[in-house]
Amino acid sequence: MPPPPLPMLPLLLLLCPLLPRADPLSYPAVISPQDPTLLIGSSLVATCTVSPDFPLKAEDLYWTLNGRRLPAASYAALGPSTLSVALARLNGSRQQSGDNLVCHSRDGGILAGSCLYVGLPPEKPVNITCWSKNMKDLTCKWAPGTEGETFLHTNYTLKYKRRWYGQDNTCQEYHTAGTYSCHIPKDLALFTPYEIWVEASNRLGVAVSDVVMLDILDVVTTDPPSDVHVSRVGDLEDQLSVRWSSPPALKDFLFQAKYQIQYRVEDSSEWKVVDDVGNQTSCRLAGLRPGTVYFVQVRCNPFSIYGSKKAGIWSDWSNPTAASTPRSERVAGGCDPKGGEQNTTLRRELKQFFGWVKKHAYGCSNLGIKLYDQWRVWLQKSHKTRNQVGSSRR
Amino acid sequence: MAAADSPSAALRRDLCSRGIRLAGKMRADVVDLLDAYVEQQGLDASASVAAVEGVPLAAVERWDEQTGTQRLLENLAAYRAFRALLAQMLEEQREQLGEADAGLGRALAAVLLQVSAFAYHLEELLRLESRGIPGEEEEDGPPPPPRLSLFEQKLRGLGVLRELAQWAVRSVRDLRQLAKPSPATGAAPSLAESP
Repeated sequence: MPPPPLPMLPLLLLLCPLLPRADPLSYPAVISPQDPTLLIGSSLVATCTVSPDFPLKAEDLYWTLNGRRLPAASYAALGPSTLSVALARLNGSRQQSGDNLVCHSRDGGILAGSCLYVGLPPEKPVNITCWSKNMKDLTCKWAPGTEGETFLHTNYTLKYKRRWYGQDNTCQEYHTAGTYSCHIPKDLALFTPYEIWVEASNRLGVAVSDVVMLDILDVVTTDPPSDVHVSRVGDLEDQLSVRWSSPPALKDFLFQAKYQIQYRVEDSSEWKVVDDVGNQTSCRLAGLRPGTVYFVQVRCNPFSIYGSKKAGIWSDWSNPTAASTPRSERVAGGCDPKGGEQNTTLRRELKQFFGWVKKHAYGCSNLGIKLYDQWRVWLQKSHKTRNQVGSSRR
Repeated sequence: MAAADSPSAALRRDLCSRGIRLAGKMRADVVDLLDAYVEQQGLDASASVAAVEGVPLAAVERWDEQTGTQRLLENLAAYRAFRALLAQMLEEQREQLGEADAGLGRALAAVLLQVSAFAYHLEELLRLESRGIPGEEEEDGPPPPPRLSLFEQKLRGLGVLRELAQWAVRSVRDLRQLAKPSPATGAAPSLAESP
């Protein structure tokens, strides 16, 4: 007669509540080693020993690893009720919660299990970079090491101290700026260098990064510029004017700021960057497509805060502001058969322009494309006025 | 008829229908959590985990014959047990994996919150019937949880979530029974008398 099927291990826990938990004989079987940690490529011989209270022999048992049955060729009966399995050249654990090595009875019941943690020790974290928003806090991020994957849960701890007399502090708020980052919200001193490093640890060891030294004043960034306005330049169909205010948080500090603008058309994801804006808080975008919606963003780089010699860190981009260029009145593309007529128009316009310059510009220093643009705005305004007068007469 | 309902019957029916919605949402969330858990732990979704120590079983014989109070008390005891078991799972999850799988941790915490809310809801229903709320075992000092191996912890988690999903189904049915109007009066039955 075949032996009756065994209750599952957890069911046995339920049925035998009075048995002391520490006694391994309380359970159908025990696996040795229990929950081991191993290096990738190493080998392991595990044994499953059934309690003498259960009528199971070694030949009634089989093994699975992560649910897959292991070949009988890797088994050896080490006693009447002990079956071993040999695992060679182990790969990294499939899940960070550990691979499941399970000893089963012939009917598939679970007799015992062991979690295998197979991986690599952590590597030294690298590329630590930090920034302080308005000199009030500090955020640092890092890379986990050249290889990265350890196949084991790896814990990262960012530590910092004032260089000469501080004691070690541990950062508490992780993952604030990505997987490998930590945020120190307060209690930071200015005018003193800090030492910052990251410790990586897992079941197979600990690795400590190089120490980075920094002064908060050298890593300041700020909020994006506020009140970004984008407007048309009269009826100029190829231009938009951008104005903004400097970030309020830095107004009281001794600092300089430089700005960048980026813009794109509505149906494209490609931004064009204007990086020669300097410290102005307005700029005119030229060479745009007529009758097109543009998105514009501005960012700020505060530098030389309290005399710091380091290049500043760019803020995030402001939220996109949209505006459209005026629609062109001329028909775009195609050939104009009245070339001669157009030449005459151009000549007339130029004559008009030079007449206007004589009246409105003093000397040659001001003569430039801006002046030409101003004239075109003036011209279009005067056309409009004439048209309005004409239509009201009709 | 609704117009003929006493205020307490209407309140009970309202509490029952809110409880049914809570249990339905909990069931859906637990099923999702179970999928995520099985994947993260590398377990076989069909692994036989017949019963786990300390986990109240949803399976019940002669369910039709239970009184309303009995239903509420069994539900309350079960959800109080699940609250403790889920808190323990969350703690073990954090110990083992830290923030490595924050998504699973958040889902576990969300279900734990739903279980706590549902237990409170059951207490409200019992209070409505002027029934004493049974004290929690924690007040007497619970026995320390047995130290399980890591594999046993995985299996216990699977058992807890599976059984909680079953309980959510049973609770919906229990509350529907409680919300049924009594055939004699047209009002909801007294909890002690309801079959």
